[in-house]
Amino acid sequence: MNWNTLLFVIFPYLAILLALVVTVYRSLTRPFTISSLSSQLLERRKLYWGSISFHYGIVIILSMHLLALLFPRGLLWWNSVPIRLYLLEFSGLALGFWSLAGLAVLVWRRLSEARVRVVTTPMDGVVLALLLVSVITGLWMALAYRFGSTWFTAVFTPYLVSIFTLQPRAELLAPLPWVIRLHVFNFFLLLVAFPFSRLVHIITLPLGYLLRPWQIVIWARRRDDRRAYS
Amino acid sequence: MNSRREIIPITYRLAPALLLAGALLLASAYLASAGPLAQTADEGRAIFEQKCQACHTIGGGRLVGPDLQSVTTRRERAWLLSFIGTPDRMLAQGDPIATQLLAENNNVPMPNLGLTQSEVESLLAYLENPAGAGQATTQPQAPTQVLPPGNYARGWKLFTGEVALVGGGPPCMGCHNVGGIGRYGGGSLGPDLTQVYSRLGEPGLTSALANFPFPTMAAVFTGKALDPQEQADLLVFFAQVDAQGQAMPPAVFDRYFWFWGLTGMALLFAGMVIFWPRQRLSISEALRRKR
Repeated sequence: MNWNTLLFVIFPYLAILLALVVTVYRSLTRPFTISSLSSQLLERRKLYWGSISFHYGIVIILSMHLLALLFPRGLLWWNSVPIRLYLLEFSGLALGFWSLAGLAVLVWRRLSEARVRVVTTPMDGVVLALLLVSVITGLWMALAYRFGSTWFTAVFTPYLVSIFTLQPRAELLAPLPWVIRLHVFNFFLLLVAFPFSRLVHIITLPLGYLLRPWQIVIWARRRDDRRAYS
Repeated sequence: MNSRREIIPITYRLAPALLLAGALLLASAYLASAGPLAQTADEGRAIFEQKCQACHTIGGGRLVGPDLQSVTTRRERAWLLSFIGTPDRMLAQGDPIATQLLAENNNVPMPNLGLTQSEVESLLAYLENPAGAGQATTQPQAPTQVLPPGNYARGWKLFTGEVALVGGGPPCMGCHNVGGIGRYGGGSLGPDLTQVYSRLGEPGLTSALANFPFPTMAAVFTGKALDPQEQADLLVFFAQVDAQGQAMPPAVFDRYFWFWGLTGMALLFAGMVIFWPRQRLSISEALRRKR
């Protein structure tokens, strides 16, 4: 038993368990609290620059993590030609910086806008701090410990598979630099925060919008007004 | 807001469960760390074969590191205990013997093997009397193995990953750089390997390719060892790269990654400008302006 086992075996299982149980409990007992607690009605301009860049950036990057977990061989095949590897790494970095800039705008908005500040809970601060750590350590790794897109498949794919198959192999993480281990540990902290915070809105994944029929919105106003309201 | 009120009580209600989970966590940590392992020379032999043999022999001459025969009489016991346990820390603190050893061994530092205090004690018990601990296999395995002739071009492809490793391990380039490998270099998680051939020497590199005596690689390549042909191809590849000597530390490439990352971000923000006008006003703002 050592710190490595505590942080990367025991804590992850507790985090996963907590995230699952509390999310189910919350959606059964308080379904209407499953919300992103949008403050768009209170402030829109900073939200546009912050939310769009953060969300698109983080969703694409998270999907790439998931793809690396599900199709490690496909990823290694893509990376087997250096120019493709560089392209993937540059894109990931661009999305990471985009996401970080968006997050910074969101923090600034929450601090500078009085109306937004009023509806801010301590948990919002926790979520923002955890997300900042996650994105900053991720960028740090992408810049200092290249090439994550390749070594993810050798370290984190087997590690995560070992967690899911209940045969944890934390020794894979033990020799890695602390920034990388912080990135992983912080992910499990996010899992713990998940069911207790606005992060829970992730489970509402709005994929239905991709398949539903178009909705036609008809404005019952004069043409000139329409622009001002949209 | 209503939704805020709803959430806080849930957090409070679950506080006991969280506290209980924390208490269980600490208790299990304490219980698991309580029982020390038996310190025996047999355990020491097992550790030696698993973690030391790739770089050291006992009476078989030097490999990557020095021959460890009678090391327990050459050095103080206290020094051995702390150096084997935390060689990286000893070096960082500027220990004179550790610094001298580093210079004597082509600047290849001994990695921290993550051994516990009691494991180091067992190892020392074995090193004091290698012959006494069961069937000691003091001969290194790797150098005795005869490799087939290697191929430089294939070594290159194995390094970049164009030819996948048979055992399923990741390609070298994911973590390592060598001179002239690609426009923006190789990986930087692991050390630059341009001069690895002369640094480790042929026997040392042969042994390293067979056993991966470095903690990160040992874990990654568990059950994914290189086959003899791959070892031979990579050995030839490293020998030639070393001879060409185009050393280009990965740090040289850092600025390209900063540049393209930030440029990409700027492009993405530029794309957002196209959609900006439609987001300009909130409903209340629009109403206020209309007046």
